[in-house]
Amino acid sequence: MRKLRSKKVVAAMPPYKSLQDYTGQAGGSAKKKVIVAMSGGIDSSVAAALLKRASFDVIGIFMKFWSEPSKDGLQGAWNRCCSPEAERRARKVAKILKIPFYIFNFEKEFKKRIVDYFLKEHKAGLTPNPCIVCNKEIKFGLLLEKALALDADFVATGHYALIKKRKDGIHLLRGKDKNKDQSYFLWQLNQKQLKQILFPIGEYTKDEVRKLAKNFKLPLSNIPESMEICFIRTTVNDFLKTHLKGRPGPIAEPRTEASFIRGRQVHYGVKKIVGQHQGLWFYTIGQRKGIELPCGPYYVLDKNLKKNLLIVTKNQKDLYKKKLLAKDVNWISGKEPKLPLKIRAKIRYRHQPASAIITKNLEPKTYTLKFNKSQRAITPGQSVVFLKGQEVLGGGIII
Amino acid sequence: MPKTSKRIYLDYAATTPVDSRVIKVMLSYFSERFGNTMSLHSFGQEAKQALEESREVVGSLIKTKPTEIIFTGSGTESNNLALKGIAFANRKNGRHIIISQIEHPSVLEAAKWLESQGFKITKLPVDRHGLINLNNLKKAIKKDTILVSIIHANNEIGTIQRISEIGKICKGKGVYFHTDATQSFGKVPIDVNKMNIDLLTANSHKMYGPKGAACLFVREGTKIEPLLHGGGHEAGLRSSTVNVAAIAGFAEAARICKREMKKEVKRLIKLRDKLIKGVLEKIEESHLNGHPKKRLPNNTNFWFSFVEGESLVIQLDLLGISASTGSACSSAKLEPSHVLLAIGSKPHQAHGSLRLTLGRWTKEKDIDYVLKVLPGIIGRLRKISPFKKR
Repeated sequence: MRKLRSKKVVAAMPPYKSLQDYTGQAGGSAKKKVIVAMSGGIDSSVAAALLKRASFDVIGIFMKFWSEPSKDGLQGAWNRCCSPEAERRARKVAKILKIPFYIFNFEKEFKKRIVDYFLKEHKAGLTPNPCIVCNKEIKFGLLLEKALALDADFVATGHYALIKKRKDGIHLLRGKDKNKDQSYFLWQLNQKQLKQILFPIGEYTKDEVRKLAKNFKLPLSNIPESMEICFIRTTVNDFLKTHLKGRPGPIAEPRTEASFIRGRQVHYGVKKIVGQHQGLWFYTIGQRKGIELPCGPYYVLDKNLKKNLLIVTKNQKDLYKKKLLAKDVNWISGKEPKLPLKIRAKIRYRHQPASAIITKNLEPKTYTLKFNKSQRAITPGQSVVFLKGQEVLGGGIII
Repeated sequence: MPKTSKRIYLDYAATTPVDSRVIKVMLSYFSERFGNTMSLHSFGQEAKQALEESREVVGSLIKTKPTEIIFTGSGTESNNLALKGIAFANRKNGRHIIISQIEHPSVLEAAKWLESQGFKITKLPVDRHGLINLNNLKKAIKKDTILVSIIHANNEIGTIQRISEIGKICKGKGVYFHTDATQSFGKVPIDVNKMNIDLLTANSHKMYGPKGAACLFVREGTKIEPLLHGGGHEAGLRSSTVNVAAIAGFAEAARICKREMKKEVKRLIKLRDKLIKGVLEKIEESHLNGHPKKRLPNNTNFWFSFVEGESLVIQLDLLGISASTGSACSSAKLEPSHVLLAIGSKPHQAHGSLRLTLGRWTKEKDIDYVLKVLPGIIGRLRKISPFKKR
């Protein structure tokens, strides 16, 4: 069996010791047990290797999620991030690291809590973030429960994010690699969960993680990055087409600007009908492609679910808004900070954080964000994440 | 256990290690006596000789004529051959097949597929111990019934059916009777004539032989079609170059089981009952699944209230004890076991089940070790259980 030789990398990198703080070795107490979610990808594999090197008692877990049954009875239907190929790789890494390895089958729960939610939201004309719900409900929900059942102290994943323990509580920070940072997907976590989570690769960049993989001799070159929604094989629209019936309706140009009245967005009026859409769930705010109207380009500006109306505009400027409303807000510290508060907000995963002021509305219980500069395509259903410096304070769902 | 490590293997129902005496016999068939049983030359003759001797030995364990043993590649294949082979050969006489609710997936799924091909399937329910009701069986057999297939000893809960009575009923009604004896073959005495069995599945890797060898006993005069067509091996019922090494191993394993059965059964029953008694005494709210008496000498299956089986099995594994929640086939799926549901368990009970199956290398100290660590694990799991008592 190959040994873990990684001293070279360590010497070349800053001497991070945060993992050692958790192992409990220094105090002479027993080894801490950690369950690491292994997807067979480079990030979670390196996470497992780092934990092993830091003298944790490591158990590898491969989670099976839901995968869409193949059409036409063809062989080989699987979920992108838990395919037989991914499982094979994860198992191989576990063997190299000499750690026990088990499979947890979350197919049913995943279908119920993630896929069904995803479809429900789309059906309601919203654009959900299934990965955020998966983190809360599956990875740091079900898996965490299972980990406790195995007497584990922690659950670890290959997320690019940082957890810092301070006197006033546990803080969630953006990962060192700002391009890979995945803290956006973690805003729904709470103190109880964070206490039991480790993100071993959060303090490395992707390049450093690749180097570590090489030094740990993990056979993981040429693996495609997991970027898209794992349970969707081709495109979101293909997936929606299979699972939601089409509901054709008119496409219209707007008459007036939408406005907010007492915390509720009021939809645009109609100037003129310009075409037909196939179902509102096939469109997302800001979308240009696929509207298929002559004399374009058109952009999706809004959806009116009641009237089954798709509002489009030729004027990109219409897509820029200074204000948004958020519901289901979570403050990671467990306590709401003093409001109004100056923050930076991220309105989608690949969004450059923008300065805003957050205030609270009492009736209905929502929060308003006012941006300094207008933001393009604020999309209902997406998460807005509140940042202060590098810290994720919390987030909410855009309405 | 033949030289492995300190791990305690208690999953003999999933598969067994190969006895070193069996390996010794097999070795000569790889590079010395490697011939094709269909060849005319001396290599072929050697192989054919070994094959026919194996047939005799395996058949003698259940009192068949040697020619009534058809060697196959797996228990699943034997079960498929029995169901589909009988169904397609006899469909002119009827399209009705009777099975039980607690069959192995290789019978259940074969039956399900036959259903899609226009056959009618009746699944007999079982009582809380896993036994079918003989009157139900009698009533279920109709004019167009062609086959009854009832598992001899269940792979999960170990319940042994009243196979002689079932055989008698089938004989009286003139329908073929198949039994899947994968778990019982070599462990309890079987006489296909006295028990009126027409077809019987047996498997090598559950009785200390190698994987990749199994057989189907097919009574002389039975109308049956093959699944595999080709060179006409195994009386035309299973074309494929014969895996002589594995079959010779199967036969040697059968020989050993036959010779040691009486003593071994006694030894296993003692250990089994010690384990059952110990668990039920030491752990509150623990229950035995399956029949208290009519059960395999090596099978135990428990359920513990407020405990989730998967976590329990992993905890045991981390302590070096290899166990199972249900059958090995369903371990990866996390569906509640169809067998446990059939005996009336609620889904959460089925999830909280633990199967420990003993075998040739199980020692009393292994049982003692299990009894030492199991109560603690159960206690800790109950503390954090999502199904906890409120």
